Formats: sequence, structure tokens, C-alpha cells
Amino acid sequence: MADRLAMYIDASKCMACRGCQVACKQWNDNRGYIPGERETTNVGTYENPLTLDSQTWTRIKFTEYDDPDRGFQWLFLKEGCMHCGEAACVDVCPTGALKYGPNGIVTFERELCNGCGYCSQFCPFGIPQLEVLNTLTGEAKSSKCFFCQDRTTNGMKPACVKTCPAAALDWGDRDEMVSKAESRVAKLKGELGFPQANVYGKTQLGGLGRIYVLTAPPAEYGLPADPKYPAMSTVWQKILQPVGQVAFAATVVGAVAAFFIARRNVHMEEVE
Amino acid sequence: MTVRLRGTDSTVLIRWIPKYTVLERFLHWVHTAMFIPLALTGFVLFAPWLEPVAQSEAGIHIRMLHRIAAIIFGGVPIVYTILQPRRMLMNLREFLSFSKYDLLWLKGAVPYYVLGRHEEMPPQPRFNTGERLTAVVMVLGTIIFGITGLSMWFLKGAMPPFLYQLMVFFHDLMFIITFAMFMVHFYLAVIHPMMWQSLVSMRYGVVSESYAREHHAMWYYGEERAKQMWEQRQAEGAH
Repeated sequence: MADRLAMYIDASKCMACRGCQVACKQWNDNRGYIPGERETTNVGTYENPLTLDSQTWTRIKFTEYDDPDRGFQWLFLKEGCMHCGEAACVDVCPTGALKYGPNGIVTFERELCNGCGYCSQFCPFGIPQLEVLNTLTGEAKSSKCFFCQDRTTNGMKPACVKTCPAAALDWGDRDEMVSKAESRVAKLKGELGFPQANVYGKTQLGGLGRIYVLTAPPAEYGLPADPKYPAMSTVWQKILQPVGQVAFAATVVGAVAAFFIARRNVHMEEVE
Repeated sequence: MTVRLRGTDSTVLIRWIPKYTVLERFLHWVHTAMFIPLALTGFVLFAPWLEPVAQSEAGIHIRMLHRIAAIIFGGVPIVYTILQPRRMLMNLREFLSFSKYDLLWLKGAVPYYVLGRHEEMPPQPRFNTGERLTAVVMVLGTIIFGITGLSMWFLKGAMPPFLYQLMVFFHDLMFIITFAMFMVHFYLAVIHPMMWQSLVSMRYGVVSESYAREHHAMWYYGEERAKQMWEQRQAEGAH
């Protein structure tokens, strides 16, 4: 993709103000704390909410980290859809609600979603959140960050990027974001004294749409160092589905052929 | 029952032998009436070219219909086991007993069903090899559909994603096997010219004496006698 866009996320600059969470909810009309309707609970951590959910498409994850060089550190990770270059969610979605959009965004059209939830189960990062409205009937809707597709396809930045007061977020051409991340990592490793600094998202899963600058190994943030496209998705989509359709077609053709041959050969007067 | 042959004064006597109970026939048709919507609604999520039907409200209703049909479908063997446990066990035992005559049946099946060659067919019990293989797949299918379907329905998010992915895979694999089998079953039971009595038996519960003799000799004559007759016929044929 020549002009693929990406989000630059500099964890070394993030101060966990969670302005991005607020801006995301505000722009996308997602619910936050509503007294009597959507309560929030203090469970003894700075994180709120504790996981992504149908109304929270991005959030800051807090991790306590004992850095071998610098002692205790807070690691702040802006969670949300990675917009993989090879996105399993797009492949398993039976409705086309998830698609590769322009500029490499994995777009999501909520109206098309039928709530099957395959995306939530096949994503290597566990990002799409299924809001189950009724377990019995299966009524549900999936949701995830779609890089403010209504803004970004009109030349604007995603809401979270626009609001970030620490300039930890940026948005633009993916190659530029990668170079920016690489030079930032070089600076972190050198003059700023973060020897473990690294870029995450450059090569994983066909290249992610989020380019992270991390100050500790990805695993310390809870990110898989080498996320894999789920093998079961390949077996299911690329082998089982075509094989099944060929098998059905072959059965129908075989039965029709057998019928015409049998009609010529079977003598009804012999049939008991 | 005496039947007058059309356009003549001749009559033939047809003796009917009971094969299925009322409950068996009723449940068979409930099973069929549920399998077809299950297959069609499942196919919507299975085939990428049916994407427009899977979308939005249509998709939500299709998934709901799939669940309603699944509950009734899964209820059929349970109701049968509760109401006629002895018949159920008897059938199950018959489904699972295979012998060398089944290999002979498989060898003779294509010439028989396609070319109408009767002489190659070995004697069969109340259910022939094909019917028993179908039944075994149906029993396996019920178990696998039950486990994978209920897991996907109620344990999404509660079970590890890889396990969920396996459930989807086996649900679809079983769908391919059972739906292909259903089409063959439909062809042989409803369309095939020689098998007209199978539909009669599932409607009225009986088969004619001559049909039982021809297709299910071990049931009609008893196993020993049917085998003897077969050996004798083979010996005569060799001369």
C-alpha cells in the first residue's frame, strides 16, 4: 500500500492523562460514566476502565515495571485496534462490516455487524469487543477503533491524536511514522538513557497501523513480541470453506448425473 | 391389501410390514424440518458470497433462527430417548453393527443404484450399509454440533480463543459432511426411482413384503436364512 497511514504512539512521552480516551468517546459518541446507568468502580488501580469495551475503543494500560537500569517505572500503553496489514478479523467477518479501508485502515461499519463475534475470537491481540445484548438470542454488536474513519478519510487526524497534550501521538504516512519512531528510539537509547527502547509494529502481521515507541521490551507491556496470524483462520477460510462449497456442488452434480443414468438403466418392472 | 392394476382386472396382494413407529416418523420429519433451516442459515455465515444476507438485521435474525432450530433439532434425540428408549437402543445397536456383507454392499452399491443391477447386492438387515453409515454420521454429528454449537453460543469469551476457533472449525467440518450426506439421503429416499418405498415407509411406517425381501433380506428371512440363500445364489452364479 503506497500511501498507508499509521498512528505514531510514543510511550515514552505518554503521561497517562487519558485525554485520548475522553476524546475518543466524545468524537464517537461512546458512553462514559453516566450516574445510575453506567457506573464506574474504583478497584484500586489507576486504570479505568480495566479493559477495552464496547464503549471504550482506546484506553491507557498501566503496568508497573522494575527497569534493570532505571528502577521502578510506570509503563503506559495506549491500547486499541492495531490495524494489522494481515488482519484475521477482516478475513473471518462474514458480513463485510470489517474491511481494509483506504490508506490501510481496518474500517468497521457497525450497522453491518450481525454480532457473530468471530472477530473478537480470531484477533491475535483480542481487541474487538463484543457487546452481548442477549445471550439467548445471540443479539450482539462488535466494536473497535477504526482510526476515526470519518475524520481520517477527510484529511483530519483521529480525535485521540488531535487531543494528546503530550504530543505522544501523531498521525500520517506510515513510512514517515516509522522513521519518526526509529529516530526517537535512537535518541532514547542514546542521550536519554533508555537502552531497551524499541519500535513495535513495524513488521508484525504485515506491519501494524500503530507504530509504538516503547521503553521496555514489548512483553513488559503485555504485547506479544511476535504475534501470529491465527492458523485456524487460514485452515477455516482458505481450505475448509472452498472445499465445502466444491463438495456441495460435486454432490449435486453427482446426484443429477446418477439420476439420469439410473433412469435409463433401471427397469421399473423389476423394481420391488 | 389388494390393489387393482390400472387398466386391467388383475389384482395383486400387497402385505405391509411395519418398520417405523408413529413417533419415529414424526421425529424424523421434525428433524428434517429443522435440519434444512439450520443448514441454510448456517450456510449464510459459511459462504462468503452470501455476505449481503449475513449483514445487519438480516444476519441477526438468521443467527436467531439458527438457534431456535438448533434447540428443536437437538431436542429430537432427547425426546426419542425419553419416550421410546428401547427402540432407540435397538436402533443404535443396529446402526453400529457392521459385517463383511457391508463391504460387499459397498462394492455392489454403485452398479445397483446407478445401473440397476440387483444380483450383486448382498442381504441386509433392517438398515442397509448406507443407511447405517448415515446414521453413524448423524449420531456423531449430533454430538459434535451439540458440543461445538453450545460452546460457541454460551462460552464465547469464557473459553480460550484457540479452543473457540477449533469449535468453529469442527462445526463447519461437520456441516460439510452432514449436508453432503443429507443431499445423498434426499436423492436416494425421494428421487431415486427404485427407492420409492422409503418415502412411503417414512410416511406410513410400513414397507411391502416384497421390498423387505429384496432390500432387507436379513430382516425379512432372519440372518441365518438370508446368508444361506445368498451363499447358495453365489454358488449357482459361479457355475
